[in-house]
Amino acid sequence: MNLTKNMKRKEVIIDIKMTNISTKTKNTWCPGCYNFQILAGVKKVIEDQIKKGKNKDDFAIVTGIGCHAKLFDYINLNGINSLHGRVLPTCLGLKIGNPNLSVLGFSGDGDAYAEGMEHLIHAARYNSDFKYLVHNNQVFALTVGQPTPVTEIGFKDKTTPQGVKVHPLNPIKLMLASGASFVARVFADVKQIEYVLNEAFKHKGFAFIEVLQPCLIFHQDASYRKKVYSLDKVNHDKTNFEQAWKRAQEFDYNGIALLGVPQNTEHRGKKIPLGIFYQTQKPVFEEQFEQLENLKNKKKSWKDIRR
Amino acid sequence: MRLNILFGGPAGSGPNILTNILGKALVGQGNYVFYSRDYQSLIRGGHNFNVLTFSDKPVYSNDSKIDILVCLDENTEKLHENKLNKKGVILKGHKENMYYAGGIFKLLGLDFLLLEKQLFEISDRFEENIKYAKQGYKEETRNVCKVLKLRQNKFFLNGNQGISDGAIKSGLDVYLAYPMTPATSVLMELAEKQIENNFFVFELENEIAVINAAVGSAITGAKTMIGTSGGGFDLMTEGLSLTGIAEVPLVIFLSQRPGPGTGVATYTGQGDLNIARHSGHGEFPRVVLAPGDPKEAEELTNQAFYFSQKYKIPSIIISDKHLGESFYTINKKSKLISVLKSTLFGRYNSYETDSEGSATEDPEIIEKNIEKRLKKGFEIKKEAEKFEQYEIYGDENSKNVVVSWGSTKGAIIDAIKDLDTHGGHTQRGTSENPKEGQDLQAGCKFIQIKYIEPFPEKIKKELENKNLILVENNSTGQLGSLITEKTGIFIENKILRYDGRPFLADELKKEIEGRLK
Repeated sequence: MNLTKNMKRKEVIIDIKMTNISTKTKNTWCPGCYNFQILAGVKKVIEDQIKKGKNKDDFAIVTGIGCHAKLFDYINLNGINSLHGRVLPTCLGLKIGNPNLSVLGFSGDGDAYAEGMEHLIHAARYNSDFKYLVHNNQVFALTVGQPTPVTEIGFKDKTTPQGVKVHPLNPIKLMLASGASFVARVFADVKQIEYVLNEAFKHKGFAFIEVLQPCLIFHQDASYRKKVYSLDKVNHDKTNFEQAWKRAQEFDYNGIALLGVPQNTEHRGKKIPLGIFYQTQKPVFEEQFEQLENLKNKKKSWKDIRR
Repeated sequence: MRLNILFGGPAGSGPNILTNILGKALVGQGNYVFYSRDYQSLIRGGHNFNVLTFSDKPVYSNDSKIDILVCLDENTEKLHENKLNKKGVILKGHKENMYYAGGIFKLLGLDFLLLEKQLFEISDRFEENIKYAKQGYKEETRNVCKVLKLRQNKFFLNGNQGISDGAIKSGLDVYLAYPMTPATSVLMELAEKQIENNFFVFELENEIAVINAAVGSAITGAKTMIGTSGGGFDLMTEGLSLTGIAEVPLVIFLSQRPGPGTGVATYTGQGDLNIARHSGHGEFPRVVLAPGDPKEAEELTNQAFYFSQKYKIPSIIISDKHLGESFYTINKKSKLISVLKSTLFGRYNSYETDSEGSATEDPEIIEKNIEKRLKKGFEIKKEAEKFEQYEIYGDENSKNVVVSWGSTKGAIIDAIKDLDTHGGHTQRGTSENPKEGQDLQAGCKFIQIKYIEPFPEKIKKELENKNLILVENNSTGQLGSLITEKTGIFIENKILRYDGRPFLADELKKEIEGRLK
C-alpha cells in the first residue's frame, strides 16, 4: 500500500521535473497583466504535449521586443529573444535549420504590424509550419503608451497630443488577403489560448493568431468582454473564405472604449468576433524543397549532416 | 608578350560569350588569361565591353591600350579606337558574333578545332555557330601572333566562383540572400549546385529577413552564410549587431560597388571597408577578410567559416565587383582547413543574459558578459596570427613599399613586375612555394593586407622608415586610415581611383614610378 503510494509520488515528481518549462526568472509584468493569461495557456499546451511524449528540445520559441517578449524569460525552452519586428524571418530560419522543430513565435502589435509588417505578408505566403501569436494591446506599452498601427482614431498620448488621425489596420483582413492558411483571433484568456493553440498545432502550415490583450496601464478597454462573441456559436464556416472576410470586417479596431474616454458613437456597440476565421490546407514551405523534406523524413537537422 | 583584346557591343549581342570562349581556349593552351567586364545597368542595348589580357606569363589585370578591337556594333569602334595601339587590329562589319570568334582565333594562330570544341560545349545553336565561325576563320587573313601550347594545368574562374567553392568546401548548409549586384552571381551559382551538394539556398523578401532568418538557421547548428552588397549590408546591420551579442556563427559575403546610395550599380569600388569594420551598434568581436584573387576568395571564405564556427562570431568576407566578376587564371590549388560544426541549439538572446538565458540588467553580469566577448576577440587575434594575414610580393628589401587590399592586387602585381628602381635592382620572391604572383621579379615591394580584422599589427615593422605608397579603389584611403589607427604610421602618398573603374596595369605603373624614391 505504502509502496504504491510512494511510487506514485515519485512518478509525480519526475513528471513535474520532466514537463515543467518554467524558469526561475522573476516576472516583471504589471500585476494583473493579461500576458499572465497568455503565458499560462501557452505553457499548459506545451506541457501537455511533453506529457504525451514530446521532448522539451522538440520545441523552439521566438519573441520580439516589447512587454510580450518577457515571455521568453518565463518559458524554459530553446529559441531566441530576437530583434524588434523580426520574429517571423527568425522562425522561418529555425524551420530551415531544423524542419523537425515545433516553432512558436510571439510578437506584440508593434512588432507584427509596425516594425516587421513586411514579414507578416510574406510569412502568410511561405506557409512554413510554425505558429505565431500576436499580443495585440493596441499600444506600445513598454515605451510608455504610444499609438501603434492598430490604435483607434482619437487616441491621445504625449507623442500624439492631437490624437490619432489615421485609420487602424485590420490584421485579420490583411492575413486573409495575404493567403494565410490559418487565421484566428482570441481574447487573452487562458482557456481561449489553450483552445486556439491546440487547433493551431493540429494545423499543417503557418497559423496566425491575434490575441486581444488590453493593457491595464495604457490601453484598457472596459467594453471588450461585453462586445466579444464566439464564431463557434454562430455557425461560422471556417473553410468558407467569403464568410471569413465578412466576419473580419465586423471589428475595425476603432470600436473600443477606453476607461474615462468618451466613445466615438459611430463604433459604439460593434461586436468583436473571436475564434478561427479561416482555415485551409496549402502546400507547406518545408515540404516544397527536397533537402528540407529529407531532413524531416530522417528526423535530422543540418547539425547532424556530416560532410 | 602581353596582348589586350576588347570585345564591345550592346548588351545581349554576345561580348561575354566571345570573351569566355577565347579565355577558356587560351587557358586550355596553358596560357594566362585575365578578363574584366564593363557593363551598364540595363538588359538590352547600351554599350558593354570586356577586356581580355593574356600572356604566356602570369597576368592579373588589363592595360589601357588595346591590341585587338572586336566591334559587335559601330559604337564600339567610335568609343574605343582612341585606345588602339599603333599596330592594333580591328574586327568589325559582321552581324553574327560567332563570325568574330572565328576571326579572333585565326588572328592569334589558334587551331580551329579548339574553337569547335568550345562551341560544342555550348551546344546551343551549334550548327549555326560553327557555320559563322568557319566563315570568320576563313575570311580573316591577318595574323597578330601564334599562341603556343604550354604544358600546365590551370583553373579559370572569377572571384565569386571562388567564394562559392570556398563555401561548399567548408560544408555550407544554408545560403540566404536577396539579389544585389555584384553579389548575385554567388546566389545563382550556389542555387544551381544545392541539390547535387545537399545544401539549401533561398531568396527572401529583403536583407533584413535574410539576416534574421540566417540567425534562426545558424543557432540550430546549420553552417549558414548570407550575401549582399553595400546597400543590402546596411539593412543587415541591426541583425549583425544581434549576432554579436547572441554569439551566432554567421558568414557574411559583402561584395562592394560604388556608393553612397545606389551609387553606380554595375561598377566597382572599395568604399565599404569602414562599414565592414564598424557597422552594427555596440561592441563585439568580428572577423573581416579581404581576398585579392579567386584562390584567396576560396581560402578566406573557408577561414571565415572556421572563425565563425569556432568562436560563434560574425565573419565578413569583403570583395568587390572587379574581383567577383573578372576571370583569373590560377595555377595552384587552394589551401583549406576543416571546419567543425560545433554550434548547439539553446537559449539565445538579443539582451544581455544571465545563466538561465533570460534578460538581465545586473551590472556585474553585464560587465562579465562584455569581458567574455572581449576575451574572445583577443583569442581570435592570437589565433589569426597562425594564418597569412598579409602577403609580401616583389623585392623584399626595397625601401619602396606599395600597400593595398582586395582586388587591386592584380593590377599592382602587373604594374610593379618590370619596374626598374634606381639601381636596376630586382629580386625574386624568396618563398620556397611561391603563391599566386609571388614569383615575380619587381623593383619594389608590395604588401597586400588580407586580414582587415583582426588587423596584423606586427605589420608595423614592415612599414617603418619606408617610402609607402597606398593604392585603393576609393576616394579617402580607408586602409590608410586603418593603418594609421593601428600603427601610428601615416601614408601621405596615395594613389586612389574612384570613377567606378578598376586600376589598369600600365597606368598604375606610371603612377607608382612617379612616387619611387
